[in-house]
Parts: sequence; C-alpha cells; structure tokens
Amino acid sequence: MTLSGWEAVFFWIFSIAAIFAGLLTVMARNAVHSALFLISSLVSVAALFVLAGAEFIAGVQILVYVGGVMVLFLFVIMLVNVGAEERGNQPTMNKPRQVTVSMVFCLLLVLGLLFAVNVGYRGLQKRNPAPLVQEQNQTLPPGATGTSRITTDTQRVGNSLYRYAALPFEIASVLLLVAIIGSVMLARTLKQEAAVDDLAPEVLAAETVREPELAEVVPATDDLA
Amino acid sequence: MLTLFAPALIFLFQEESRSGAMMQGIRNPDLSRFLMIGALLFVIGVGGVLTRRNIIVIFMSIELILNAANLNFIAFSRYLQATGSMNAVAGQVFAVFVIVVAAAEAAIGLGIVIALYRNKETIWIDEIDLLKW
Repeated sequence: MTLSGWEAVFFWIFSIAAIFAGLLTVMARNAVHSALFLISSLVSVAALFVLAGAEFIAGVQILVYVGGVMVLFLFVIMLVNVGAEERGNQPTMNKPRQVTVSMVFCLLLVLGLLFAVNVGYRGLQKRNPAPLVQEQNQTLPPGATGTSRITTDTQRVGNSLYRYAALPFEIASVLLLVAIIGSVMLARTLKQEAAVDDLAPEVLAAETVREPELAEVVPATDDLA
Repeated sequence: MLTLFAPALIFLFQEESRSGAMMQGIRNPDLSRFLMIGALLFVIGVGGVLTRRNIIVIFMSIELILNAANLNFIAFSRYLQATGSMNAVAGQVFAVFVIVVAAAEAAIGLGIVIALYRNKETIWIDEIDLLKW
C-alpha cells in the first residue's frame, strides 16, 4: 500500500492540517475555539480515511462525530457557560511543574512510538515482501461522471459487519441504549428527581429545608396500610 | 530514560538517511506514514489530557486519542487489503465500533459534567477534588 501522485500531496496536506488543528484544539484558550479546531481535525482525518480507501468510515466519521458528538459538546459548553470563567484571568493549563513533567512524558512517548513504528514496519515489510494482489482500484468500473471509480468498500464493510461481527454489533446497540438512559438519568435536576420520587428520604428532607418548593413536586404516596 | 532513547533516535535517522528512504517515504507515503500521523495525534491528545484544566477540553482530547486509534485501524485495513488477506475490512468494522464507543462515552461524560457543574459550579478539574482527601 503506497499512495502516489496527487494522493501523496493530499495525504501530506490533510495530515499536516489534522496535526495542526489537533495542537490548536489542545492549546486554544476558549473551549468553543477548541471545539471548532477539533471539528477541522476530525474532517481532515476523514479525508485521510478517504485516501486510505475507507469511504464509508469517512462518512460515518463526519456524520457521527461532527454532526452528533461535536454538537453535543457545543451544547454542553453553552450550558456550563465557560465564557464567563474564561474572561477572568484563570489559567487554562495546570501548574507549570505539572505541565513540564507531562511535556517530557509526551516527548518520550512520541519518540518511542515513532521508533516502534519504524522498526515494526521494517519487520512487517520483511514478512510480506511484495503485495500479493494488485490494488483493486484499477479493475473497478468508472462512475457515471467518469472522474472516479465505483468502489465496493461500503458493501464489503456491511458484509463483514453482519457476518463476522453480528454479536458485537448487537452489543454496541445495547451500549448505546445504556448511554442514552444513563445520560438522561445523570443530567436530571434535583426537582426532576423529586418529581418522580427518586430521592432518598433523608436527602429529600435535607434539600426541602433549602428549597421549600421541592415538597410540592413530590407525588403524594397513597398508603395502602 | 534519555540514555535509553538517544541510541534509538540515532539508529532511526541513520537507517532513514542511509537508504534514501526518507524522500521515498515523503513522495510515496505508505503504512508507516499513516501510523506516524496516528502516533502524533495520539500524543497531542495525551498532552491535552495531562495539561488542560477545563474538563470539556479534556473530553475533546480523548476524542482526538480515539480518532488516532481509528486512523491506525483504517491504515492497517488498507495494508491488509493490498496484501490479499482474508476479511481485510475487519479494521473498518473495528473503526465503526470505536466510533460507537466514543459517542457513548461523550454522552455519558458530558452528562457527568452537567451534574458536576450543577453541584460544584466549576469545570476546572483541580477544583473537583472530592475524592482526594
């Protein structure tokens, strides 16, 4: 697998864009700016996915991450009102000593990772000296506009997803259900919890002293005894 | 630590320049370049988690880390397709699951952030130290 020609040019453009946007995500002072830089980083990585022949994952990445998760992030940033805290002279980083130590750790980590990638890839090349089959792009039929070729990538991902990974797929759906219910339960206010009678009696008694209107929303329990 | 990494670094750059593989790697990026980009994104995310005080930015850095892992999965999937391996799109299937887990994690994590903000009125992690002492 090697990219050549314009693919290589776009590979470097998008990878540099992804890395710079990632750095700015971490360094931006305002959380909204961080979110916007993270969006551009995710879109650049989606473009790298397209270059690696994974069009379906690129589409999912943009739809789910940029369309779903990042909108969630922006909503939460606006809910917790970060701007008011950012305007004061609060430092955005930890104490200088902690930052220094983590920078040293990150430097060691990146050196170790790059070294491992280089050595490991050389070993991999020794193991698979030559590609056994030709890249499939050359044999695929051209699309209607003639500028690109019709790939079977999405079809193959679907086949693999439902044949080899059917059980994990179902487990993932249960995980998403748990996440939905869990986040709804976590984000309830005290009043909402009291309204469905979901508070411990001592907590309710303690909080009613501070907020008298809590006692009104508690549903009346009809004692059978 | 540094004495451990210095010879590795020298070895790395000697190997690259000796065979002229550096220019070749830039002109024709292969699997190892994808892995390097993934490693850099991962380290940027780790740095964000370690240095920032804002809990929402820490969540964004975690998304960056998961995305770097996805990039590695996709690159290996392409590499295995080129070597004619059976079920080579398994990497892409894994990437789908990583995206699902990232979405679930973001939903739960942001729910926790909202609950925390409602109780403690802060999003700075060094002020959320209830479990520390």
